[in-house]
Amino acid sequence: MRPLTEEESKAVFTKLANYIGKNLIHLIDRKDEPYCFRLHKDRVYYVSESSMRMSISVARPNFVSVGTCFGKFSKSGKFKLHVTALDHIAQYAKYKVWIKSNGEMPFLYGNHVVKAHLGRITEDTPEHQGVVVFSMNDVPLGFGVTARSTIDTRKLDPTAIIVFHQADVGEYLRDEETLF
Amino acid sequence: MDVSNILASHAAKYQSVTVEKETPLDVDAGFLTVTDLTPIDEDSYQSNLEDYLKSTARDGIQALIAALYGLPTQPSPDGALAQLPEPTTKLPRAKPLPKPKPPTKWERFAAAKGIQKRVREKKVWDEERQEWVNRWGKDGKNKEKEEQWIHEVKANADVDHDPVKAARDERTSRVAKNERQRLQNAARAQTAGGEREERKKDIEKTLASTRISTASMGKFDKKLDGEKKLRGVKRKFEATETSVEQEKQASLAVLAKLGSGAKGPRKGKSAGDDVLNVRKAIRTVSKGKGGVALARETHRKGAKGKRGGKR
Repeated sequence: MRPLTEEESKAVFTKLANYIGKNLIHLIDRKDEPYCFRLHKDRVYYVSESSMRMSISVARPNFVSVGTCFGKFSKSGKFKLHVTALDHIAQYAKYKVWIKSNGEMPFLYGNHVVKAHLGRITEDTPEHQGVVVFSMNDVPLGFGVTARSTIDTRKLDPTAIIVFHQADVGEYLRDEETLF
Repeated sequence: MDVSNILASHAAKYQSVTVEKETPLDVDAGFLTVTDLTPIDEDSYQSNLEDYLKSTARDGIQALIAALYGLPTQPSPDGALAQLPEPTTKLPRAKPLPKPKPPTKWERFAAAKGIQKRVREKKVWDEERQEWVNRWGKDGKNKEKEEQWIHEVKANADVDHDPVKAARDERTSRVAKNERQRLQNAARAQTAGGEREERKKDIEKTLASTRISTASMGKFDKKLDGEKKLRGVKRKFEATETSVEQEKQASLAVLAKLGSGAKGPRKGKSAGDDVLNVRKAIRTVSKGKGGVALARETHRKGAKGKRGGKR
């Protein structure tokens, strides 16, 4: 376990900023308890300082996970967000998409969000913007990237993809062994 | 008429042409230089510096000119010219001493064995001619064998054995060997010291870059026998247990840099949005009711309403 280098933190922050924008400061500069990012075996963990200090004493081979896993670095150095980061992202999300109850299951099985399932969407969402997907009763289900801007979605047919799937809470079951 | 007074005053006005000093002045006529070795008289130096310097300089110049008049002269259209002698003062050399040449292979061997260098005379005594002849070169003694008019040939020699050619070949091969060794020594001298190290480093650098210049970054390359593992630059990370406050500041710095410097396609788009504040525009157009209300209104009113909204 080690702190992120500057390049790594840049990769993580740009990815997070795509979803929560300027609110990223609230993740770094927390009022309640100091939190920090830690890297272990290519995975980035968001840990409170106290847990981090306790976990230092765990030997590296025995170390499994600490705090919240935010995602992992691919071998080529790109950062991929995991659904485990959803709680923190949903809290500060700038752009949101609500999907109807009949669209929940398809999304939770890893499909993209089509227009027919779209309940609501934040106004003036640009194209290719990271969005958090909610159910109609405001339960975060996952996140993705918009295929079209809000204005463009109006003209689309019901089967057109609105949000590209990136992660959903179904992964807790599907990718249980590799997620954390 | 008594002129002694006048003479005395005249003598007082003009100082004597001979300079009397406790330590004699060191005059080097070759460089037109006079060195005054007399210790400085502190009292007069402190009290009247200008006068003291003037009098010292005057004495020096007087001595120099006196020395110049003592030199042999040569008549010339412009008057008599003094012929300056060779300078006696030793000046330090302007350039640094030349670096000693790196020793040749023989010199190193000789040094290790303690062999003294001895100079062979160029001339050797020729008994037959009863005179000194060159050891080598024009009419050299080393060509004696190939130039003699009769040769001793062994009984079992080949039919086509040419004793002149054999002797000549032997001599020319010695010359060729010497030339080869000279070149080798020169090459060795050129690559000696720092230059050689530099070249070695260069070669190693090139080799390292070629080893990772395949599609697989050298992973599937054939390994040579005794090939060492490539050592890269070791990464350095910060300690895990640094102060979180410090880490926070570093993260905020990175964040600030991202906010200002990032010019990705996505960032560019958001920068474009910043130019026109969309939210504010919607608020103004919908008179504070918000975008959703505006959309509803435009849908209800149709095309006409939309135009109204844009106005």
